[in-house]
Formats: sequence, C-alpha cells, structure tokens
Amino acid sequence: MFIFTHRRMAITGEDVTLDDIIPVSHNFAIVEVSSPDELAIIGADTRVRVTDSDRDLELRLPFGSHTRLFLSEVNRSWSEVCKKCPTEVPASQFEWLTKYRRSTKGTSTDSLSAVLLQTPSSRKQSGKLSLADRKGHPASVENNVDRRGRGEENRDDLVRSSSYMVSNKAQMLAMPQFGLRDNLIRSELLKKEEQYIYIKNFRFFLGTYNVNGQPPKESLQPWLGFPSDPPDIYCVGFQELDLSKEAFFFSDTPKEQEWMKAVLEGLHQDAKYAFVKLIRLVGIMLLFYVKNEHAEHISEVEAESVGTGIMGRMGNKGAVAIRFRFHNSDICVVNSHLAAHVEEFERRNQDFRDICSRIMFRQKDPGLSPLTILKHDVILWLGDLNYRICELEVDEVKNLIAKKDFETLQKFDQLRRQIKEEAVFSGFVEGEIMFQPTYKYNTGSDQWDSSEKCRVPAWCDRILWKGKQIQQLHYQSHMTLKTSDHKPVSSLMEIGIKVVNEEKYKKTFEEIVRNLDKMENECIPSVSLSGREFQFNDVKFMQEQTKILTIYNDGQVPCQFEFIQKLDESTFCKPWLMISPHQGFLAQGESVDIQLELYVNRSTATDLNSGRQQIEDILVLHLDRGKDYFISITGNYLPSCFGTSLQTLCHLREPIQDMPLETLQQLILMTSEEVSDPITEKPLDIPKEIWMMVDHLYRNASKQEDLFQQPGLRSEVGKIRDCLDTGTPDSLPGSNHSVAEALLLFLDALPEPVVCYSAYQQCLESCSNASQCKKVISSLPQCHKNVFNYLTAFLRELLKYSEYNQLDTSILATIFSAFLLRSSAKQEQAERKKTWDFLTHFLIPDHS
Amino acid sequence: MAKQYDVLFKLLLLGDSGVGKTCLLCRFTDNEFHSSHISTIGVDFKMKTLEIDGLKVRIQIWDTAGQERYQTITKQYYRRAQGIFLVYDITSERSFQHIMKWASDVDEYAPDQVQKILIGNKSDEDQKRQVATEQGNKLAKTYGMDFFETSACTNYNIKESFTRLTELVLQANKKELDVLRVPFGEELSVADLEEEEHQADVDNSSQKNCWC
Repeated sequence: MFIFTHRRMAITGEDVTLDDIIPVSHNFAIVEVSSPDELAIIGADTRVRVTDSDRDLELRLPFGSHTRLFLSEVNRSWSEVCKKCPTEVPASQFEWLTKYRRSTKGTSTDSLSAVLLQTPSSRKQSGKLSLADRKGHPASVENNVDRRGRGEENRDDLVRSSSYMVSNKAQMLAMPQFGLRDNLIRSELLKKEEQYIYIKNFRFFLGTYNVNGQPPKESLQPWLGFPSDPPDIYCVGFQELDLSKEAFFFSDTPKEQEWMKAVLEGLHQDAKYAFVKLIRLVGIMLLFYVKNEHAEHISEVEAESVGTGIMGRMGNKGAVAIRFRFHNSDICVVNSHLAAHVEEFERRNQDFRDICSRIMFRQKDPGLSPLTILKHDVILWLGDLNYRICELEVDEVKNLIAKKDFETLQKFDQLRRQIKEEAVFSGFVEGEIMFQPTYKYNTGSDQWDSSEKCRVPAWCDRILWKGKQIQQLHYQSHMTLKTSDHKPVSSLMEIGIKVVNEEKYKKTFEEIVRNLDKMENECIPSVSLSGREFQFNDVKFMQEQTKILTIYNDGQVPCQFEFIQKLDESTFCKPWLMISPHQGFLAQGESVDIQLELYVNRSTATDLNSGRQQIEDILVLHLDRGKDYFISITGNYLPSCFGTSLQTLCHLREPIQDMPLETLQQLILMTSEEVSDPITEKPLDIPKEIWMMVDHLYRNASKQEDLFQQPGLRSEVGKIRDCLDTGTPDSLPGSNHSVAEALLLFLDALPEPVVCYSAYQQCLESCSNASQCKKVISSLPQCHKNVFNYLTAFLRELLKYSEYNQLDTSILATIFSAFLLRSSAKQEQAERKKTWDFLTHFLIPDHS
Repeated sequence: MAKQYDVLFKLLLLGDSGVGKTCLLCRFTDNEFHSSHISTIGVDFKMKTLEIDGLKVRIQIWDTAGQERYQTITKQYYRRAQGIFLVYDITSERSFQHIMKWASDVDEYAPDQVQKILIGNKSDEDQKRQVATEQGNKLAKTYGMDFFETSACTNYNIKESFTRLTELVLQANKKELDVLRVPFGEELSVADLEEEEHQADVDNSSQKNCWC
C-alpha cells in the first residue's frame, strides 16, 4: 500500500510525493475505527487503522463508495497473500520495495489525502479494541497481537467497524459541568442580544476586478479611493489574477504581491488601514482591510476556498471567502468566479450552490459544527459571476448601451432572470445597475471587444448582498482603468452593525449568571423530614421501640440519600439503634419511610444501666451533592437488673429502678474496684433477682415438663423483667417457661458471666478432674461463687424430678454451660464439650 | 468571547445560633430576607458566581447549624472550607464573646491556609446594640482578620463582605490559579494587525495568511 502526500491540489504527478509504503503482508491489518461520539454523523470521514510490524497509523478516508471499494480491495489482496503463503512471508519478498524507499519522508505534509493521526511511537496503546463485525454480531474483545497470530481465521471480515470499549462511552457522558455552564451562558447571551446591542452604521467598500492575468499597470485610486470619506472596511476581490500554467498547477504567483501592493496604495488616502486577511485560490483573490481604529473589534477571522472548475474541484473557477466578526455581527464576504460562456448559466447556478454548501468555516469552539456562508448576519457576494446578456444581438446591446437604456438591457441579463426565477442567489439583493456592462473591452481601452469572437457586452462583474440594515450608497464601474478586458466594479455599502453596549452587556451577563445560579440552587437536592427530633421514652431492656421518619423529596431533582458517620465514629448511629433503609434513592415528589428501631440488648445494656451511655445520638442524613440534615435521637433508659453485674446487684436491696441514678453509678464504680466500703451495708449473698426467679421455679416448676427447653412468651418475660426491676413481689407473673427463659436471659446479659472470664481457661483445663473443678469455683469472687453454687444446687434439685420434667444431666449441662461459662472469644466445638464436662461434675447428685 | 475559566471555592458561615448566618446567605444569593428565625438543623449550601479580576469565581457557601449541641458534628465540615465567615450579632454580647471559641475551633479543624473574616451582623438594630463597632474592629485586628458590620435586613455590606472573603481566598490560592489561567492567545490576531500594516513589503504577511 502506497501512501502519498500532495500539495493543495494534485494535478500532475509532480504534485504528489510518496510518503510511505506498507507491504500487505501477514502482519498487515486494516480496521475501521469509530468512536462513540461519531456514530451519529453520516457522511463523516471513514477512519481506519493500519497496522503492521512497523507502524500503527490512523487514516481518514472520504466517506463513500470509493473508500468502501478501496478497503475491500485491500482486504481481498491481503487474503490472497495469506492464502498463497500460509506461513510468515519472508522479508525478501518485499525487497523490491526498497528502491521506492529513498527520499520518501521529509517532504512537507501540508495536506495529506489520508491524514496521519498517529505516529508509530503510539502504537503500543492500541492494545485492546472491542471489535464487532459488520453484521453487528456481538462484540468480542481481541488483542491486535492475537489477531495477527490467528490471521487465517478472520481474514474475511478484517475490515469491519469497531468501537472503543464501553468505558470510553461512560467517560463521554460525564460532561464537565463548567463546560455545560459556559454553553448555557453563551446561548442565553445570544438570545438576549437585543438587550445589550445597538445598531451603528459602518461603510464597507466592496470591489471586484477581473484583471485578465495582467500585472498592475496603473493606480487603483480611481477605483478604490473614489468615496469622499474613507470607508471603514475594504473587501477587494480579483479574478484571473494569473492565467499562467504555473499559477494553476502550483499555488505560487508573484502577482499576488504585486496586486496586493497596488491595492494598499490605492486605498483611501485619508485613513490608515490594517491588513487583516488574504485568501487566494489560483486566480481568485480576496483582500480584507479595516480602518486601524476598528481593528480591535474584528475577531474570529477565518478564510476558506473552494474550487468548482474542472471535475468540480479545480481552482480555475470557484470562490474564496472570508468570515469575521465585526463588533457583534457575523459577516461573510465571498469572491467568486463562476463558470464562463453564455449558455452555461445553469452551470453558474450550480457553482453558486456548490460554493454555499462546500465552504465551511471552522469555529473557535471545536464542539460547534462548522459555519456555512448562509449562516452569517451579513453576506456580501462579489466577483466575476459571468452571467451574460442573452437573446439580443451584439448591435442591439450596444445600441441600448449607447442610449444608456440600462433598464431595458437588464431585462435580458441572465442573473436578473435567474434571481427572478429563484434559481440562484435566493434572498440576495443587488442594487440598480446604472453603469454600462463591464465586459468585454479591448485591453488598454474603452473599446468593446473587437476580436473575431466579438463578444456581446455583459455585466459579468457584480456585487450582491444579503442581510438586514444594509443600504447601498454607490454601485458603479470604473471606466478609467484600462489594464484588463473587464472594468472594475465597486459598491459602497452602509451596513448596520450590532455594537455592544458594554454596560448593558455586563448587566445582561450578570442577569444570566444570576439566573443560572438561581436555577442551580433550585436544583440542589432537597428533602423535607417528618421530624427532626425523635424521643424514645422509658426504653427497656430487650423491648424494641420503633419510630418512623418520613423523608419527602421536595426538591426539583431526584436525590440519593444516606446516613453518614460523624467524625471519629465508625458507624452512622449508636449500636442500640437500627435505621432501615439507611440509604436510598428518591424521585421528585416521592417519599420513603425510614424505621428508627431502638433495641437494647445485652451488649448495650450494661453501659446504659450504669449511665455511662445515654439514649442520645445525632444522625446525619446526607443528600448526594446536597445538604446534610441533623436528626436528634433522645430518650431515657430504665435501668434493669438485666445487664447489671452480680456485684452491683448484691449491693441493691431495693429494686434497681427505685435507686437514684447517682447511687447506682457510685455502686458500680465502687464494686468494680472491689472496695467494700464500711458505710454501705453488707452485700447480699446472691442477687435477690436470681433468688426470686430460682425460688419461683423451685416452688412451681420442679415437675414442669420440658423446663428450660420450651420458650416462654415474650410479653411475659417483659412483665417478669418489670417485676424484678420495680419491686419484690412474692411470686412472679407468667408461665414457668417464661420465668425459666427470664433466668437464662438474665445470665446471658451479665456483663461478667457467673464463671468469670478470667477463670474460663482454668475451667477448660481442669474439666476432666472433679476436684480441680471445685477448686476453680472456690477461687471465684464471693458473689459469683455463691450464685454458681446456688444455681447448681437448684439444678441438682431439678434432676430429682427428671421423670416429670424429662431433664437429665446432659441436657442441663448443655444449656447452662453456655450461660455460666462464657468465653470472651468464639468457642470451638471441643471447647463447648469441655464446658459441659466441667458443669457435669457439679450436677451429679452425690456431689454435694 | 474569551474562553471562560471557572474556579470553585467553598466558604463556610460560622457563629452562634440566631446571629443571622442563613439570612446573610439568603440575602447574598437570592436577595431575599425573612425576619422569622428558623434554626438551621444541618448543613446547607448555595452557589453563587462572582467576577473578580475578570475571573469567574463560583463560590459554594455552606451554612451551618449554630446550636451548641451540633457543634461537634459541624466541625467536620471545616476542613472542606477555603474561607470562613465568623459571624456574631451586634445586639448579643454573648455571640461576640463566643467568636473566640469559634476561632479556636477553626484553628483546630480548618485547613491551615483558610481565610477568615469577621462579620458583625444586624447593624440595622443599632438601638439594641451591645457590641460597639470598635470592639469588633479590635477583635478582628487581634486575629488579623478583615471586619464588616452587615445587615441582611437592609442589604448593607453583604456583597462587599462576601466579595472580600472570595478575594482573599483567591489571593491565597493564586499560585495554583495562575497555572490554570488561559493565556488570551485567541485575541492576538487584532494585535498583530497594526504591525503588518506598517510593513512596507508585504511578503511575509501574505505568506502567513495564505493557506492557513
């Protein structure tokens, strides 16, 4: 595959230079690439990636069947290469290429038929592409290297569309917020333009001159300098600047500078002008000057050209155009040289349409689509439009001219007729023609063409405009210039330009920004809450209380809410609180009920009993990209014997809830330090609560079937708890099973188990030896020892009635070991077994 | 239009409950004022765009709960701020005395280069004044802060104080910003014009402009 570069337009072989040669070998691959943002553009360039062992190029090919054909041909020849020699092609096969390789690179690459987007150095990046074949079969991820390795399999659909991986698409969607804001401001400014602009008239001089390939021989002052006051802007167009072959084939011509100099010298003498832009396509040239003082208001100057000559591309005919922004108006000036010959008016119409559709100015913001000529506020069109006078004989025409009956003559002007038929220049206006035709004269004279052809005089050179607030002050030809077979034409226009009132602009801009800020603030997620403070009264051990927080999305956008943790805290709420759901999504106008469930279990009860912790929390409800709400949780906890240590309970002669909180706290502090204060009374042997439960069971439940195996009723357990916490009744409420369960719950909730954590390991070690076990127990603190002995005595008592209550040693050992001998860590099964063995020693009847 | 460049700063309003933090914010962003006091329970924010030195600066202003019981929670928002308003109420001696506590919290929890200004709000209620302007001035001086007496009610000094703090933040972050500022290269074409005009021989300019 040969890659050529060429200069602006390739006409002969010398215009193109060989840039690279890529052997279509095994390593060769050509794959169509498209990125997601380009999917929508039909008619966009086809991008292909060409890879072989040395390079990785991305090329752009023009959309259409030629490209399709080219790609399928390349693909076909590659398949043949692979068929012929299924193994790697020896490098020698392409040795003949070396003779082409000399002096390939290094020439200027102004314009490439295929644009080089990537250099070989970047080829490593092209690792993974998600490939899908043309029929749209599921995409498969392949590696370039893999594909080369298994070349034979896939050769038939090597050229296929592919797209980058999905993740790229996601990135595209994440539009930067600021960019969006800028665009919004821009479009709002455009909408409100009337608020801050006013119209000010400026005078534009437009000139067109077909110079018939002649060099400047005379001053252009009579043409360019004729207005009494200096114009604000000059747009001067030439055609047939250079008719030489060199100018046609190569873009250089000395005429460009010669005529430019002539124009500069011909400009109005009473003002200084700044040169802004020149654009030339072969012989069609357009120059743009502006009065110095206006220069700072000219911006976004762009120039383009388009050839409509031979093959619809060549530059012998066509147009050049300059667009610019003057103050706040977008102006486009076109200089065109349309197809010649009397009968070719349809061709001229076609040229006009081609120019309008093919000239595209790039915009400063690459995100905006290119501007066409017709999208400007003001369009000024000049040039040798080449429309002729038809249906009249030469003599008739000359006769009318001699009579200065231009009105009659204009009826035979093709351009006037075509415009009337709306075949061309739709919406354009041309001023009244009060000058004689500008074509064709004997060069150097004012005589009509006297050659054999004896052309019919015609108004070839014209100036038209489109847009509002435009007035033509003059429209004339300049007969004194004799350099060419055409006469130059000029038009002086007064054009109303949108000028910005800086103060009003600032005001409008600020208003837009203010509105945007307001809009943005209104779009901050927002919710309303059914309550900010939740009070939980008289919270009891293992008795849940639930309150409902309703979150209502009163904002204008959907929102994502979440309870978040506070500084230095690892969770978003205290352990005794459950929030469900703790996060979620709410559409506008929707609401959700959040359950705030308060439940004090054995792990939280101790600190609440002691007053070290309160029912107090502040929840932070966070809205994604929005505000935070604080929700207060308050409440009071009723201290309970559940969760209170044996020592503390032994010091309580009164029910726990009758004790003042301070006394309770004092007791807890004191007992934990194992100080027996002489002021306090002698502690009880065992907590009265245990005695009450055990005594109740002893008296009522010795013969109760399935005791400690059948669950009690939750409500009854609650009543038993209240009874123990508030009074010292003779009997407890509820069934035997409920009392039995309350006893187990009580043991379970003890912050320090009956067999203290510190003695646990010893228990395991001595479990096989009864006397050792007894020794461990005797080493426990007094109240723990008492409780242990009391409970085991009770259990032995129960075993006496095993024929009624169905209990046996192993059942009781299993159940009670779990409560009496708790490990601070997780228990292994073998460990569990040892605790049973340990307890069993104390349940054997003859033990006492 | 030159390419717009945006910067985003976060400012925080701090001060006792009822000094008028929310009112300052509402007046500044929405130009609204409500005399009834509804305690902010949580952390709220609003956006505003300011133009400073030709730079479009977007500020996100965080309004915090002033009540004492929320202070441990609101502290965690300090570290996000680049600028802090310490607000007291000129009719409340107590709120003025608490500024010291607020300031020490800021020292502890806010980033080191945070910018602060002192605001004595409710300047319209002069007849109930308990804190003299001079006291405010003096305190501000001790802390090296700028000081404004404001009134959200009469819209006095509101824009000035917000703009001032934003300026301070902008200055403090100038180094980072200068890197990001776009050179106004796109406007160059005009500057070039004059030179080219005076060139007697136009060779170069014509070349330059030919096929661009």
